[in-house]
Order: sequence, then structure tokens, then C-alpha cells
Amino acid sequence: MQLELEQLIPIPLADEVRRRTSAIWARDVLVNKGEYVFVQAPSGTGKTTLIHFLYGVRRDYHGAVKWNGQSAKGFGTEKLSELRAGKLSIIFQDMRLFPRLTAWENLGVKRTLTNSVEPQIVKDWMARLGIADKADSMAGTLSYGEQQRVAIIRALLQPFNWLLMDEPFSHLDRMNIERAIELIKEVVSKNNAGLILADLEDNDYFPYTQKLVL
Amino acid sequence: MSQQKLLLNKLLLHSGRSRLWLSLLSLAAGTTLLLVAVMVWWNFNELLSGKHDDDSLGSTFLTVSKRVTNETMGRPGATIFTSDEIEQVKAAPQVQGVGALLSNRFPAYAVMNAAIGFSTEMFLEAVPEKFMDKLPEDWAWQEGNREVPIIVSREFLNLYNYGFALSQGLPQLSESSIQSISFQLKIGNALQGEVFNARVAGFSDRISSVLVPEPFLKYGNDKYAPGTMTGPSRLIVKTKDPSDPRFVDYLQQHDYVTNAEQLRWNKLRSVVEIVSLATGLLALLLMGVSTLVFVLFIELTIAKAKAAIRLLLEIGYSPGYLVGFMLRKFIPLVVVALLDAMIIAVAIQCSAHYKLQQMKLHVAKFPGWPVWIALGISAMVLLWFVVFSIKRSISQEKIAA
Repeated sequence: MQLELEQLIPIPLADEVRRRTSAIWARDVLVNKGEYVFVQAPSGTGKTTLIHFLYGVRRDYHGAVKWNGQSAKGFGTEKLSELRAGKLSIIFQDMRLFPRLTAWENLGVKRTLTNSVEPQIVKDWMARLGIADKADSMAGTLSYGEQQRVAIIRALLQPFNWLLMDEPFSHLDRMNIERAIELIKEVVSKNNAGLILADLEDNDYFPYTQKLVL
Repeated sequence: MSQQKLLLNKLLLHSGRSRLWLSLLSLAAGTTLLLVAVMVWWNFNELLSGKHDDDSLGSTFLTVSKRVTNETMGRPGATIFTSDEIEQVKAAPQVQGVGALLSNRFPAYAVMNAAIGFSTEMFLEAVPEKFMDKLPEDWAWQEGNREVPIIVSREFLNLYNYGFALSQGLPQLSESSIQSISFQLKIGNALQGEVFNARVAGFSDRISSVLVPEPFLKYGNDKYAPGTMTGPSRLIVKTKDPSDPRFVDYLQQHDYVTNAEQLRWNKLRSVVEIVSLATGLLALLLMGVSTLVFVLFIELTIAKAKAAIRLLLEIGYSPGYLVGFMLRKFIPLVVVALLDAMIIAVAIQCSAHYKLQQMKLHVAKFPGWPVWIALGISAMVLLWFVVFSIKRSISQEKIAA
């Protein structure tokens, strides 16, 4: 699935965007299937806004976001659901877990949507990221680091062509970041997918094909 | 239940059991009241339209005759209705049908026992079948038949049993004992006559007379009283509402007389109709309120799960799937409430059937078609509201564009 951005300008940041140069805002950008893209974005430049535009959560922009040549603005709610269940996966910056469900139940809500990953594999992944013992804890009671690891695993529990990540490791220590990167690489590769990671600072977590400054 | 359904239950349905039961109870109560109101209206309608022979409530039939005054006393034809007059009565307010009560112009005798020679003169009348309250199975006669069925006014039997028999020291007679007695009916004069076997086939509450099948009376009149006046002296009039002042005025203007008690009785009927209409309106209002309560319960449930619905949509659940999930949760509840109402309505109708039977009033054992139609319509309206409210509430949670 190819991604095209055409003269994309977020309406709330329109003035800000015009004042400075960006590799993405008000430009035409082409990202081919399977690319690994890093978007470096200082605070307040619209990193989360961009990820939300790509995922279809927000539509308050001028220009176009096109997936395989189709404008995302034209997608109806059912079409968006279809994309989100099978083609686009996301790790939100604010995790967005169900606080009244346990970590295991949070993963279950996503896993049972497509049933593409066996429960035993989910257990293995939890163990790899060091949260196996938190399976029965309420998500609302987990630390941010633990919640972030649950959110990372949740994003991998579906088939996808693109994995969107918005500061996915902001609450993790170096060791946990490395474990998470390994797992993500493995699953992205298995899905023949691409990824778009947005973060504040430059990094080499993945073998990026493009690095863009927002 | 699958893990997914369990999780969705946990996420979406936490409005509290007591609220659920209260809203279901109000829904069932509202529907029951609506069905009962329709049932009351329908049952009264059935009773008042008098489809059953022994319905004393059902008489909207009046016997109308011309008043016998000092001036008309000496003129035998003065109380006969002409065909023009019959047409006028047909066109009178509230009149739905007019039947002529034909009377015999030939001599008729009932002979109880030929050996003893006990006989009595009698009069006979006939009326079109559709105006009769009692129609025995073998109520038919054609030329050549030797047996004549007779219907006697129940009033006559009462007069005998409670008046004549008591004063004369004679035995009182039950209806069945009278029906088992056969006697001979002799018609014609000493020179020319015929004898038929007669028996009482039934009793009438509606017509104070001795009735024989119409073909028999016409046969007797043609054969034994040819050329006499054949017009009716009494009419039986089917009316929608005989208590209508316009109808009463019409009778007075033409100096016609009828059984005044019947008119008073029909005032009660008007009252009953108004009461059942008011009950219906009240029930409709309650049904509306209970539907509103239930729909608000659904909307409250969805509003409480707002954040969860939003997140489910964000991680890939489709609005259609969530609407389907909610419908599968709420529609069975609606069906249960409607079934409860239906069972209660059937139980009430059954018990009304047996209770009223003891009072010689007939209502059906099971609710009639208007009740089922009311149930069907209320089910459709209710389901529409449920589906609409679920769809609307979930679409409000769709990702803001």
C-alpha cells in the first residue's frame, strides 16, 4: 500500500507551517510499500497531528493523504474500520488502553477482532517484553512503561501493511526499547509491512529508508 | 460466549441491573396496558354488536310500531307500515337495517293433545333471519315439510313461570322441558286446513313474539288468507346508536313507539365507548412513556460506554459491528417484554371469557385480531425506536471528521 501526501497543511497549524520549512507540510511526499520512514519532529510541530491524519482519526487539513491513490478524506466509517483492522496499525503516543480491562483483556479485544495471532504467541511476546506477570493487572493501574509495552503488543495483533508509531518508546528504558524494537522488526518483516515512526530526537532504531524532518 | 463478546459486554454494558429491570418492567407494563385497553374496547364492541344470540348487551335491534290511538283503534290497516314508510325508516338517522315483522292473517291453533282436545288460538310472526338473535340449526321450512320450528320470546316464558304458573298453582317449566314438548299446529279454517308438527326450537330475547320461518308464514297467508293486507305492523330496526337524539326525535315525530328501556340501555353503551376510548388514549400515553424510558436506558448505556466505543472504533471495530452487538443485547429484552405483555393479555382475556360466561355474556377465549395488530404495531414502533437510538448513539461516537 503506497502513501502519498499532497500539499498537506494542518488547519490549526497553518500559520506556523507557512513560517518555516518542513519536509512534509505543504510538500508532495511519496512513500512506497514496505519503506521504513522516520519523521523527526521537535515538540509542537505537529507530529501527533500527522500520525492522526495518516490513521484517519483527524481530517482537519488542506491537501490530501492518499493510500494507494485513494484520498483518506473520502473513506467512510466502515472503510476506515476495515483499514484499521487489516492494513494500518498504530501505537498511540498516549497508549489508549481500556483502563477497566486487564492487560490480557486489552490485548484480547484487539486479538479477537481478526484472530490472526494465537493466544500463546501473545503470552510469549508479553514475556519477551517483561510484562507476563502483569497480564491480570488492570491497565489503569500499570505504570506508563508497562502500558506502553501493552500498547506495542496490541499494535502487532493484526495483519497490517503499515505500522504507525507515535513516540512508541517514550516511557521505556534502553533495554526495554531494544526488546521492543526486536519484536517490532520481527512482526513487521513477517507482515511484509512498512513503518512510519515519529519521534522528537533522531535515532537509528530501524534501518530507515527515509528520514524526514517535520 | 466467545472471549470477544465477554470483553465487549464488560466494556459496553454497565448501566446497572436495577435500571435494566425497571426499564423492562415499565416497557412490559406499558405494552400490557395498551393491549388490555384494545382488548376492553374490542370486547365491548363484540358484546355491543351482539353477534351472539344470548347477548343482552348486544341488542341494537328495536321493534318499532305505530302508536295505537283512539283514532286508529277502529281501523285495522292504520298501524300497517307502507313500503314508502319502510323506506323512510331505512333512511332515518343511525338506522343500519330494517326488517318487517310479518304476522299471520290466517287462523292458527296450537293443539297440545288431540285426545284431550286441549287447544289454543295463537298468533305467529316471521322476520328475516338476519334480524334474529337466535337462529336454531334447523331453522328452515319449505312447502311440503310437516314440521315447523317455532321461537318463543323468553319474556313469554318468564311471564308464565313467574306470573301465571305461580298464581294458578301450575308447575314452572324449564327451557329444555318446553323444547322437548311437541305439539300440533293447525292452520286454516274448518273447511280447509292443515296440521303440522310443531316444536319450540329456541327462545328470543330480542323479539317479543312467536316466530316461525318466513316461508311458512308466507305460505299460510297466501293459501288461507289470500287478498288480505300483507304489510307489516311492526318493524325490527337495526341501529348503530339508538340513544342518538336525532333517532329518538324521528320516532317521536312519526308517532312510532319502541321499547324505551332499550334506548336507556344504549345510553350506557355510549358511556362505555367513551370510557374505553379514554382508557385507550391513556394506555397509548403510557406506552409512549415506557418506550421513552427504555430508549433513554439504551442511550444512557451507550453514553456511559462512550469512551470505550470511541476507542473500539479507533482500534478497528466497525460501527456496524457495534450496532449489531448492541441490537443483539437489547432486542431480546424487547421481545421478552412484549412476550410478557402478550401472555398477561391472553391470561386476562381467558379469565374474562370464563367470568363473563357465568353472566351469560360471550367474549372470545383468546384476544381478537385488533389486539394482535396492536401488539404487532407496538413491536414495530418499539423496535424502530431501539434500532434508531442505537444507531444514532453509536454514530455520535464515530471519529469526528
